Amino acid sequence: MSYIEMKGISYKYPVGDGKVLKDVNLSLEKGKVYALIGANGSGKTTICNLIRGFIPHFFKGDLDGEMLIEGKDIREWEMGDLAQKMGYIFQNPFTQISGTKDTVFEEIAFGLENLRVEVPVIKERVTEIIKLFGLEPLQNKDPQQLSGGQRQRVSLASVMVMDPEILIIDEPTSQLDPQATEEVFKIINIMKQKGKTIILVEHKIELIAEYADWVILVEDGKVVMEGKTKDILSDIKTVNHGVMLPQYALLGYEMRKTGRLNEIPITESEAITVFNNWIVGKEE
Amino acid sequence: MEKKNAVLSLYPTTKLLMILLFAISVFIIPNYLFGYAIFFVCLLIAAIGSVTKEFANLTIKGLFSLSVLIFVLQSFFYPGTHVLWEWSFLAITQEGVDFALGLTSKIIAVGSSLILFFRITPVKDFVYSLEVLGLSPKATYVVLSTLTIIPEMKKSSQIIMDAQKTRGVETEGSLMVRLKALLPMITPLVLSSVASTEERAMALEARGFTVNKRKTSIYSIEKTGRDSFIRVMLLVILILLIVWRVAL
Repeated sequence: MSYIEMKGISYKYPVGDGKVLKDVNLSLEKGKVYALIGANGSGKTTICNLIRGFIPHFFKGDLDGEMLIEGKDIREWEMGDLAQKMGYIFQNPFTQISGTKDTVFEEIAFGLENLRVEVPVIKERVTEIIKLFGLEPLQNKDPQQLSGGQRQRVSLASVMVMDPEILIIDEPTSQLDPQATEEVFKIINIMKQKGKTIILVEHKIELIAEYADWVILVEDGKVVMEGKTKDILSDIKTVNHGVMLPQYALLGYEMRKTGRLNEIPITESEAITVFNNWIVGKEE
Repeated sequence: MEKKNAVLSLYPTTKLLMILLFAISVFIIPNYLFGYAIFFVCLLIAAIGSVTKEFANLTIKGLFSLSVLIFVLQSFFYPGTHVLWEWSFLAITQEGVDFALGLTSKIIAVGSSLILFFRITPVKDFVYSLEVLGLSPKATYVVLSTLTIIPEMKKSSQIIMDAQKTRGVETEGSLMVRLKALLPMITPLVLSSVASTEERAMALEARGFTVNKRKTSIYSIEKTGRDSFIRVMLLVILILLIVWRVAL
């Protein structure tokens, strides 16, 4: 039994014409980082909404097929149980702050308060997560006064404090500068080390090459390619589906034209090894 | 630091009962001097709560100017026979002055008590105490989030306004020009607010806001012995006022 499974999923939002997802079949295992890639409007966010149960609990519309979490259909899951099981980080850092809390500390505690966790436990867990994410300098600040990057880190902490097994992260860095992006990904890496199952939507392909275990390429509501990150992101066919390959891979393809290159690298560390070998080979 | 203050540290509903007593008392005791005296009581409490400046600012600028206007209008136009002063068609009558004194004293008493309440009670504390009394967290969320969403909307309206300016929409000048600029500003503002509402609702949902359990709260304020003492005192004063009124 898969951890998360989609069988023949098709979906149409209540407003708007045409199906957003068309016969999607996916099977996700526990503890891996999955990256959903594809052009804008291809259906990535809809897949996230479906896994989290926002479809069909929040968005109605026409849903066909089976969406199973631990073998149980999403329609049978209670929203409260899903809130505990899955964390969701949204694209916009400005809509995720509850807007009712005076300090970052209280903001992070909000989810646990809703789940009726005892106050001493809340304080302990919030303090722990603040330390883990390096948010100490922000903890007494007003969440409304934070920058986009800081808010996104607080949002991640607010979700992580609830200790969900599955984490859905939808374009967390689309509105952030490179430094804030790096900080957010450091946190995602911490979660990966903790063995969380992560479903990540991201356009920055270099980051996917670095962090994802498995890549799912979505185009026009269908899964067109999926496989190990290395296989998908070093495959030139990926480019035909509106996704760019990492720069190291593109460079690899260029170099292959001039001579032998055994492997197409996708990350910086791979590139250093592969290109060094290539240079040594040339000199020999 | 703030909690040590004798007035500020009172429980929100104790403060509410206190200002309710002030507001009701002016209707029990009809003498206008009593109504004006309530203002000075409020001023004294504001001074103990170290909010004199904010309290005085609001009462003088808002409440007093309104009361003066009402006083003048009522003095001149309230029907009466004992004319005190007359000029052309305008006449101040004794009845008018009496009525105006009574009315403005009540307005000042009720107004200054309300102003005092919101100066000495943070909205967060007030809402917390209402939640303890059983008000739904959804209702309290609406109250609290509105307070933070308004400045956010103000910020985004400024961004939209700047964006429209760069596209040549005139936003400054005569009333007509400003009115014309309103439409291209309001439409994106409303649409973006509606769109972000959906994401806000989902973000709340993602953090278990709609889970049907009573919630815990790391923020808490407690009633103390002083609250009980003041509540009893308030009740005693209320009874005394009623007795005094009946005996008169």
